[in-house]
Parts: sequence; C-alpha cells; structure tokens
Amino acid sequence: MFAYTIRRIFTMIPTLIAISIIVFVIIQLPPGDYLSTYIAELQAQGEGVDQQRIDFLREQYGLDEPMWQQYLTWVTGLLQGDLGYSFEYQLPVNEVVGDRLLLTFVISVVTILFTYAVSFPIGVYTAVKQYSIGDYTLSFIGFLGLATPNFLLALVLLYFANVVFGTSIGGLMDPEYVNQPWSWGKVGSVLEHLWVPVVVIGTSGTAAMIRRLRANLLDELNKQYVITGLAKGLPPGRLLIKYPLRLAINPFISDIGNLLPQVVSGAAVVSVVLDLPTTGQMLIGALKSQDMYLAGSFLMFLATLTVIGMLLSDLALAVLDPRIRLEGKAER
Amino acid sequence: MSSSDQSQSMGGPPRGRIPHTVDDQPFDPGGDEVLTPEQERLYMASQWRMMWLKFRRHKLAVISGALLLALYLSILVSEVLAPYNLHSRFTDHIYAPPQSVHLFHEGEFVGPFVYGYEKKLNMETLEREYTSNPDDVQPLRFFCSGDSYRFWDLFQADFHLVCPAEGGTLFLLGTDRLGRDMLSRIIYGARISLTIGLLGIAISFLLGISIGGAAGYYGGWVDSTAQRSIEIVRSFPEIPLWLALSAVLPVTWSPIWVYFGITVILGLLDWPGLARAVRSKLLSLREEDFAVAAQLMGARPRRIIFRHLLPSFASHLIASATLSIPTMILGETALSFLGLGLRPPITSWGVLLSEAQNINVVALYPWLMLPVVPVIVVVLAFNFLGDGLRDAADPYR
Amino acid sequence: MKRIHLTRREVLLGGAASLFAAGVARPPRLRAAKLPEPPLLRPRVEAGKLPPMAERLPETPAVEAMEREWQQIGRHGGDLRILMGSERDLRQMTVYGYARLVGYDADLELAPDICERVEVDDGRIFTFHLRKGHRWSDGAPFTSEDFRYWWEDVANNEELSPAGPPIRLRADGELPEVSFPDATTVRFAWSARNPTFLHDLAGPRPLYLYRPAHYMKRFHKAYAEPEALQAAVQKHHQRNWAALHNYLDDLYKFDNPELPCLQPWINTTPGPGKRFIFERNPYYHRVDPDGRQLPYIDRVVVGIADPSIIPAKTGSGETDLQARYLRFDNYTFLKQAADRFPLQVRLWQPATGAKEALYPNLNVNDPVWRELLRDVRFRRALSLAIDRHEMNEVIYYGLALPGNNTVLPRSPLFKKAYRQAWAEFDLDKANALLDEIGLTERDGRGFRKMPDGRRLEIVVETAGESTEESDLLQLIGDSWKKAGIALHTNPSQREVFRRRIFSGETVMGIWKGLENGVPTAEMSPRELAPVDQYSYQWPKWGQHYQTRGRSGEPVDMEQPKRLLELYEQWRQSTEQETRTEIWHEMLSIHAERQYTLGLIANVPQPVVVHNELRNLPKEGLYNWDPGSFFGMYRLDAAFWAGERGDEKA
Repeated sequence: MFAYTIRRIFTMIPTLIAISIIVFVIIQLPPGDYLSTYIAELQAQGEGVDQQRIDFLREQYGLDEPMWQQYLTWVTGLLQGDLGYSFEYQLPVNEVVGDRLLLTFVISVVTILFTYAVSFPIGVYTAVKQYSIGDYTLSFIGFLGLATPNFLLALVLLYFANVVFGTSIGGLMDPEYVNQPWSWGKVGSVLEHLWVPVVVIGTSGTAAMIRRLRANLLDELNKQYVITGLAKGLPPGRLLIKYPLRLAINPFISDIGNLLPQVVSGAAVVSVVLDLPTTGQMLIGALKSQDMYLAGSFLMFLATLTVIGMLLSDLALAVLDPRIRLEGKAER
Repeated sequence: MSSSDQSQSMGGPPRGRIPHTVDDQPFDPGGDEVLTPEQERLYMASQWRMMWLKFRRHKLAVISGALLLALYLSILVSEVLAPYNLHSRFTDHIYAPPQSVHLFHEGEFVGPFVYGYEKKLNMETLEREYTSNPDDVQPLRFFCSGDSYRFWDLFQADFHLVCPAEGGTLFLLGTDRLGRDMLSRIIYGARISLTIGLLGIAISFLLGISIGGAAGYYGGWVDSTAQRSIEIVRSFPEIPLWLALSAVLPVTWSPIWVYFGITVILGLLDWPGLARAVRSKLLSLREEDFAVAAQLMGARPRRIIFRHLLPSFASHLIASATLSIPTMILGETALSFLGLGLRPPITSWGVLLSEAQNINVVALYPWLMLPVVPVIVVVLAFNFLGDGLRDAADPYR
Repeated sequence: MKRIHLTRREVLLGGAASLFAAGVARPPRLRAAKLPEPPLLRPRVEAGKLPPMAERLPETPAVEAMEREWQQIGRHGGDLRILMGSERDLRQMTVYGYARLVGYDADLELAPDICERVEVDDGRIFTFHLRKGHRWSDGAPFTSEDFRYWWEDVANNEELSPAGPPIRLRADGELPEVSFPDATTVRFAWSARNPTFLHDLAGPRPLYLYRPAHYMKRFHKAYAEPEALQAAVQKHHQRNWAALHNYLDDLYKFDNPELPCLQPWINTTPGPGKRFIFERNPYYHRVDPDGRQLPYIDRVVVGIADPSIIPAKTGSGETDLQARYLRFDNYTFLKQAADRFPLQVRLWQPATGAKEALYPNLNVNDPVWRELLRDVRFRRALSLAIDRHEMNEVIYYGLALPGNNTVLPRSPLFKKAYRQAWAEFDLDKANALLDEIGLTERDGRGFRKMPDGRRLEIVVETAGESTEESDLLQLIGDSWKKAGIALHTNPSQREVFRRRIFSGETVMGIWKGLENGVPTAEMSPRELAPVDQYSYQWPKWGQHYQTRGRSGEPVDMEQPKRLLELYEQWRQSTEQETRTEIWHEMLSIHAERQYTLGLIANVPQPVVVHNELRNLPKEGLYNWDPGSFFGMYRLDAAFWAGERGDEKA
C-alpha cells in the first residue's frame, strides 16, 4: 500500500509540471498582454496614455522579458507559495484570492455531497426496481438536470428565488453581511443563497452518478452469490445492504476524479451568472484581461485540486479494492 | 417399447438386478430439445442481429433513436419546415407572445387556425401589449408558397410545409426583439447545433482510438505516456480551458471557421474518456486466444488492433461516442454564453440561448428561452440512445 | 444664469459672487457654528477628536446656490447605496463626487470649485487662488505647497515620471512656467494659448496639478528616511520607491484608503472586496446656502456585482441611485420593479452625437475601397440608403433622434440642417448616386459589382460588445440590399477591432459617435478634425498629427485639410465670435461630406432614483465628458427626505 502511494505521488509530479507549462502557454496565446488590454480600456474612456509611460510600466511588470524567463519566474514563485502579482488589482495574488479559495472549496464540497445524497437513493431505487415507472421517472428527472444548460437554469432560479422567496439577487449572502463577522444571520443568509448554485451545478453530476450506481448495482444483483443468498432465505433488504451495495459504492469513490473537475468548471460558469465570490468569476475576468499571474495561478490551483482529488480517490479505491493494489492497475 | 426381462415380477420394489433395457428406435440427438422456428433464428443469429433484438427491448432508446433520426433528417429540409425565412423580420410584431393553434371557432370546426394579434403600445412602460383577437380567424395553409428562401444557398424557392394565412401571422413560439419568428430560428439553428457535435466526435474518436489503442496494446512506456497525457487533459477544469482556448481563436476568422475551430477544441478535450475505455478493454482482450493466435500467425500489430480487437467492442465505442455528443452540444451552448463560441448573425441554439440570457427575458419575454427545449430533448435522446446501445452492446451477457 | 466668457483679462468670479448674489449677509462659517453636526461626525466632534464644523470649513467655502427649480435646501444624514461592476469602477466616485479646481455646473458652464477664483490672462496665463483654510480630508492644510510638490518633485522627477509632465499640459508642445507667489496662489504661464486647460481640469478624469504633499513626502526619496522608505517599499510589494510612490498617490482611483483627498466622500475600505464604504470628508469645502457643510449624505455604500445582474439587482431594490450598467432595453423591467419598490425610473439624455455611427475608413489599405470610400457621392448614397426612422421605431419606440453624427439640439451650436443633411431615407436618390459613380453592373444575386469585379460587399467590423450593434446592422443590411449593396457583419474584440482599423485593414467600423454632442464654442472641436488616431474614419491622419509626423499618413484630401486648418485657428483664437464661426464651418463640412454615417442619437438612459432622494433633476444629461455623469448635478447636494435622512439619528 505504501509503495503504491509513493508511486502514485511520484507520477503526479510530471503531470503537474506539464500542466503548468500548458497553462502558461494558454495564457500567453491571445495576442497582446495585460498592458495592451488595460490601455485599450483607458482609451475607451477617452484617457490618453503616452507611449513612454507604457514602456515604463512594461518594464516594471516584467512583461518585456522573454517567455521562458517569465515562465520560470512564475513557477519558482509558485513553489514558494508566492502566486505572483496581479496587475489588475495591484496586489499579490495571495491577497486577492484570499476568501475566494475557501468559498470555492466550500461550494465544491457541498455540491459533491448534494450529488451523493441525491444520487444514492435514486440509484439504488432504480436498480432494484428496474423498468418500473419509478425507475423511468427518476431517471428522467436526473437526466433533466444533466441536459439543461447551467447558465440558463441559474438565471431562472435566481429570478424565481427572488420573486418567491425574496432572496436578494446574486452573491453568496445579503449585502449587509458582506464585511461583517460571522453570525447566525450571516449563516442563514449564506444558506439561503447557496441552494441555487448547488442545485444547478449538482444536477449535472447526479445523472451520471445515478447511472453508474445503477449499472454497477445491476451487475452485482445478477451475480450468483445474490441469487444463492435469496434462495437461502436471506431477507432481500439485508442482502442488498450487506454485499452488493458495498461493491457498488465503488464508483462514488472512484468518480471523484471525474466529478471534481466537472464541479469546479460548472461552478466557474454559474458563479458568473450568480455573481458568487468564488474563483470562477475572478478567473474568467483574469483570463479576459490577461492578468497573467492571477489567471495562471488560478488555473494551476484548480488543476492541482483536481489532481490531488484524483490521487485521493485512487488511494481510496486501492484501499477498498485489493485487486488494484495487487495488480497495479486501476480497474474501473 | 421394450421387452421386459423374464425375471421381472409385478408390484413392489424391484429386487435383484435391474433388467437391461435397450430402445431400438432410431436415435435423434436433438430430439428432446425441439426448437421452434423463432428460437432457431435466435440461436443461429449473428452478433449484430442479437444486438438489435436486445436494443429493441429498451423502448426509450428506440424512441430516442427514431426521434434523433427524424431531427437529423429535418436538417436537410429546414427551409421547407420553417414557416418563415431565417432572416424575415416583422417590425409590427416585435416581442409577440406565442400563438396557439385551435381547431374549433365558436363551436364550429374550422380546421387548424390561429387568432390574430391586437397590438397596443404602452408608452408608460414602453411595452408592446398583445392580445388575441377572437374575431380574426387566420386558417393555416399547408404545402403552400410563403417566404422565399435559398435552398442550401443553391437555388431560390418558396415552398413551405405550413404557412400563415395570407396577410396573417404564424408565430407558434413567439417572436424576438427584431420580430423574427422563434420557431423558424430554432429549426434553422438545429443545423449548426446538431452537426457541431459530429465533427467533434469524429476528432475525439480518432484521437481516442489511436492513443487508447496504442496504450492498451503496446503497454510499457507507450502506455505510461498515454496515461500521463490522459490525466493531464482530464485534470483541467473544462470551462476555463475552453475559455482560454477560445480566446485564442483569431477573431478575424469568418464565422464558419470559428465554428470548425470550436468543434476541434471540443473534440480535443473529449478524447481521454474514450481513450481510457479503449485502453482498458484492449488490455484485457489482448490476452484472449484469438488475439494471441493472430499474433502467432504473424499479423502486424495494427492489423490485430483494427481487424480483430476493435470490432469486438465496437459497440462499446459507439455507445461511448453517442454519450459524448451531448457534451459537445452543451459545450457549444456554454461557449456561446461566454461570448466565445458562435455569435450572431450565425444562428444556433447556443446563440439563441445566450441572447435570452438576461433578466428582461426571464421576467418579460420567457418564450425566448424555448430553445432550451430542443437542447434538452436532444441531449436526453442521445443519452437514452447511448444507454440502449450500451446495454445491447454485449449481447452475450 | 449669466454666461461667463473667457476673454482677455477677465476674472472668473466664484464663491464671492454667488455669496452676494444669494443676498446673504453673514459669512457661512458663522452660520455653520449654529448648526448641528452631521450624524456620522457627531460622536467624533463631541469626543474632541474633530474640530466643529465651522472650523473645518475654509474661510470662504464654496456655496451651492440651490437656485434651480429641482433643488432645495436639505439636511444631513443617511446612506446612499449604489452598484458598480468591478473594483476598478471605484474611480467613478471621483467622477460622481466631482470636486475639481474648476468644474461644470448643471448648465455646462465653468465655475471655480476648489479654487476660489481663477484669472485668465490672454488665454495663456492662469492664476488660481485657493481658499484660505482649506484642508485635506485628514486635516492637513491644502496650500500651494501641494502644487509645488507635484510640479517639482513628481511631474518633473525623472524616476517618477520618465515621460515628463502629462501631455495635456503642453501648449504647442511647450511646458508651462509654474510659479507659487504665495500659500494660496498658483500660476501657470505658457507662451502660447492653452484653450483646453480649464476644460481638462474640469474633466471626469481630471488633470491633477497637486498631491497631498504632507502624506506623499514619506514615500519620496528626497524627503523620506531611506530605511523607512525601503520598509514601505517591501510592505507594499513594490519594486522600488518610484513604483511605490506611483502606486500610492493616485487621487483618481480611490484604491488607497489612507490617501488624503478633497472629494466629498472618501473610501475607507481597502480592497479587494465586494462592498466599499465611502464616508464623508470632514473638511469638504462646499456648503449649502444655510451654511451646512456638504455633502448632505453621510456615507455612500458601493456594492460590486457582475454587470450582467446589475439590472436585476436594481429591479429588486438593492440600489438607491443607479444609471451605470442600465440600458434602455431594461426600462420596461425596471418600470415593473418600480411598482414593488419605492423607486422612480427617470429617463435622462446622453450627450453623444450619435449612439452608434458607421465609420468608413478613409485610410483603408485596399486601393479600390479607398477610392470608393473617398468618393463623397458613395458615402452620401450609403447614408441615404439607411432607414433611420425604422431603427427608431423598432428598437427605441420612437423615442430617440435619428440623424447624422453631429451636435444635439441642446447645444447652442445646433442647426437642424446639420442633423438632417443626407440623412433622409431615399432609395431612389441613393441608387441614382451609385449609378452615377459607375457601379452599374450587378451580379447574379442583384448586388452591384465594384470596379474590379468583386461584389460590392461592405464588411462592417464591430467590437462585439452589444447586441444593439448587430441589430442595427441587421436593419441597415436589409435596406442597403435594396440599393444593391451587401453588408456583412464581423464581430470582433475591442482591441483587435481597433488594431485593424489603425492598420487600415478594416473597411468600415461601427462605434459610438461624437463624445461631446453638446459643445459650446468654447469647447475644443478636436473630434471634428483629423487629430486623433482614435477617430475611426481617419486613424492614420490622426496618428500623423499625434506623433508629429513620425508615423501615419499626412492628410491628402482637401476638406479634411481645411478641418485641420480650422482646428488650429480655433486654438489660436480668443474672440468668441471667431470660435463660433469656426465651429459652424467645421460642422457644415461634416454634414455635407458625411465622414461618419450617424445613425441615431438621444437614446434615453434609464436612471433609477429612490423616491425619497432629493436634488436630482427629473430630466438631465448623462454624459462622460463633459458632465461627469452625476458630477455636474452635484451629488454632494443630494439628500434624503423621509426616514432615511434622519438628522437627529
């Protein structure tokens, strides 16, 4: 087990390096850089910026260095925990990001839990009562969540929540609580706002999860030992829980690897629509204005989160499924 | 029957040796298992036929398949199906709500018709108020001559399946801010939205099979590299990556090239799923006897992969591909929403949805959100179809 | 209101004049002593931390006369909530607050504000008289030392300003001679006339001639202790002291809560964040006629939200005053919201010459297009083939003003002919002109052919930012089709859009029209002359002027040359009559020659105002320059009637 863990961690490293290179290249691909976008904005306001000041700023920000040098500066900074400097906010990225990482994390975790909580009972039910009306209906509802474009659903629910519940539009809490310390009122307000993004993002993942659980459970239910057990007189419910379910939980653990990137990216889009102070919104803004370090560090954070998530899920799977440990390959 | 042994006695359990009996009728090996013609067909059926039979059992999949087929065929004749031309606009009917089709007017059967609009301009709230005018009966015409169009940009024509009454209107799904019929726009939009997935799938297929195949078959460092790349691509959160890549597409490209660019990007990011499935299947299959036999007979790896291994799970591949198409369609809508995908004047469902993405629409003109219905229907249909295909894919289970 | 001109040796009277005009007997400071403190400051004054109101005001504060029909004397107290789209928008508080050396009032006339008086000599020597006793927001005195510090130690310091003082300070390429006769007097003297100097000082993003010297000296190499300076550099993550100084001293951006300033409200919340509280400036220099120190409103609470949901947030009562990020098509939705919340939805007028205008690129690279676009008959035909009336009805409910991209009826320079020349919808005339040019051959689809055989298809590039533009182009395309011209829209991205125009690749672009559509003869006609690269109809000529011939192309058409001449003449002239004549000649050249094809103007801007907020006009001008959005209406004089502005609270 230990050897396996060490091996997995080692293979993670080249992955992360490759990701960092790709991220850097992607950020640099669009023409121009932060300054040219910034200047364009100023010009739109009728504010003139003279060329000398631009050159001065360019040199100050290190945007005149060659690509590979900028990359190295950034990566060495990352390793030291220095996420770089945000041109847009004129602050180190660490300070800009602050709360948002926590909130992204919270929303992602809550969404995943929601997904589990919803897909588990539905998955079990549809497997056990296959081809029944209940099966079709619930599967249909699950799929509906998958099929509806997130951004539209978010906007509709936002409006709905406002008209029916009086929830304030957008944001993670009512405006009065924004800079206040935590209190019960604030918690309540956050919960009031949280359900919309969680439902919107979560519903996309539930369908896949339901399907996986259902398929695996169906496989198990048709196996010999189940039939034997039934024949021998074990009550069906107890039988279900004791054996097949344990095996069918497999996808829940192994799928974190699939679920996490999906949740994070779904959160990015939904955050824009709902104006949530998470990384998604800031990332999109940073990508649009080519705030190099901010965007790059964010992407790295998200990618690392996913890679670590996958590592954890692989490890958990290895613990659960001895076959993997012994044979050295991941069975899905 | 048989002639019994002399020492047999009547009644009671047999005592002593049991007599040796021999049946002298001719022996028919399959005699106790008489097959009906149907069973015969079933057991003798080929693999594909069995898959088809199993697939047929999954009703939802069959319906979905038929629906999708109909939709794709409709692309060929969008111009005829749509009541109006894509670009026709009616300045008198801006933001008109949907009209419903009635059959009975004041108790009498008139045939399919709609009631005309009565329009009022509210200058207080700057709103156009439409009410249905019960005296204005506008019967629909079928197989008629309506808005002219260029059929696939080849020739001019004006034949439509259904048209409004002369001088009347037929806005079954309402109109948008320029007075364009939503139903027609949705029908034309299908052309782009339904095909964007296919090209992406093709690319993703190609990449998935080659890389997954090589990884599964060769193993070793090829496998490790492939696994690394799969992991790398999968670790990226999708949306930000699309965002970044789409920002790269030169904006000077014409919309058609942007369209292709988008599909290529979508395809490039989708292949890992397929590659992994291919790889793991190949890993198990290559130990099978038939593969070993082919190898021993000197077949080259490529032939083994493509001629022997792949066909045995081609059905799985098809199922996976079918399940990936919805991702493409949704991806296109997401990109259009972010302003990076297709943009007006191109019409796709994604573009229509991004135009509906504002509070005015949700609060005042909700019918503009109707393009979400075909998106949902198509995505669901592909999902059910894929499920059915996957269930049917391994008929021997 | 009396019109005040800038002519020889004329003195602009400010606070003193209005004082007398208002017929007030006792100086405001004395009256202030009898009035209660604003609720926000009361505890601090009672605790002795802040001097009382009378002592916080300058000796001669600026009096807001409150003579207009929508103004009344108000009272202190309350919070004003507004929404902005990003943290960068905080600078709008400088725009809205509008404390300037000289500023525009609600009639778009210049009057001294921070200064007590300005003397202009021959249009080239400007003497500013500051108010005695005027203090920065932290209590330190505001004197000519702040100007001196800026001029000598910032603008002319090589490390802080490698490019030298701001370009706007140059008249005829020369810098002024700046002198500081005493603590309340500052003089700027040029050898050539600088007609736009005062306008620049009154701008939304003003020319800053001063810094809080007492605060900034700590971060200047010449004044600070090296160790303390280095520590500060590191604390703020800057590269060196110059970067630090430039980072901390921006009076416009409001990103440094510790920087003293002169605006009515100051930011007290450091970024980054989503909610910023602006508190009243205790040393603000303006009062109401009763002597109450302005602003009336104690705090402005700025919420940051994504621009796309700001209309929704406004519609659910989350803001008290909002115009930014509200568009005309939000009106119906907002009106509905006004039934549920105590809000009013007013429609103000923008002041751009046209909301959208087409810019045929006279510097386009393609020779065939170049010749065609330079033919005035072609441009006139294009204009005649646009149905502006339909646009107005379809998109703007008939409330906007179709016509050319030129001055609006509000401007004293307005003439109906300017808006209507070649702007009527006349397809016959358009077709006749096109035939006259020789574009008579048509292709299979009915479109005309260009001299080299290509289809006459104009590719209009947009910055891809608004559906409005693509809607308008759709309408234009339909009507141009009837004249045999094809239109193709190419949505792009702002930066790429600009770059392509500058480099001559774009044939035609669409953008908003004249920034200043309500000029007086005193304002600069620079938008009408080829002097700016950002004029999309002649980017290369503009570049040529701006870089003094180093890049771009010289003007090689007769009438634009004349425009350039007239512009130079305007800059030199001092007589009001001459200036008016020059303006009119330039405007009529534009109307006749159709260098830009204006589409529609006066698209109403929804402004949402809380029912109980007073001292904002029912109908006003909503414009960037001049106007500074709410600036010219003096937001510091807005107050809460009813509960929210409880003075006793």
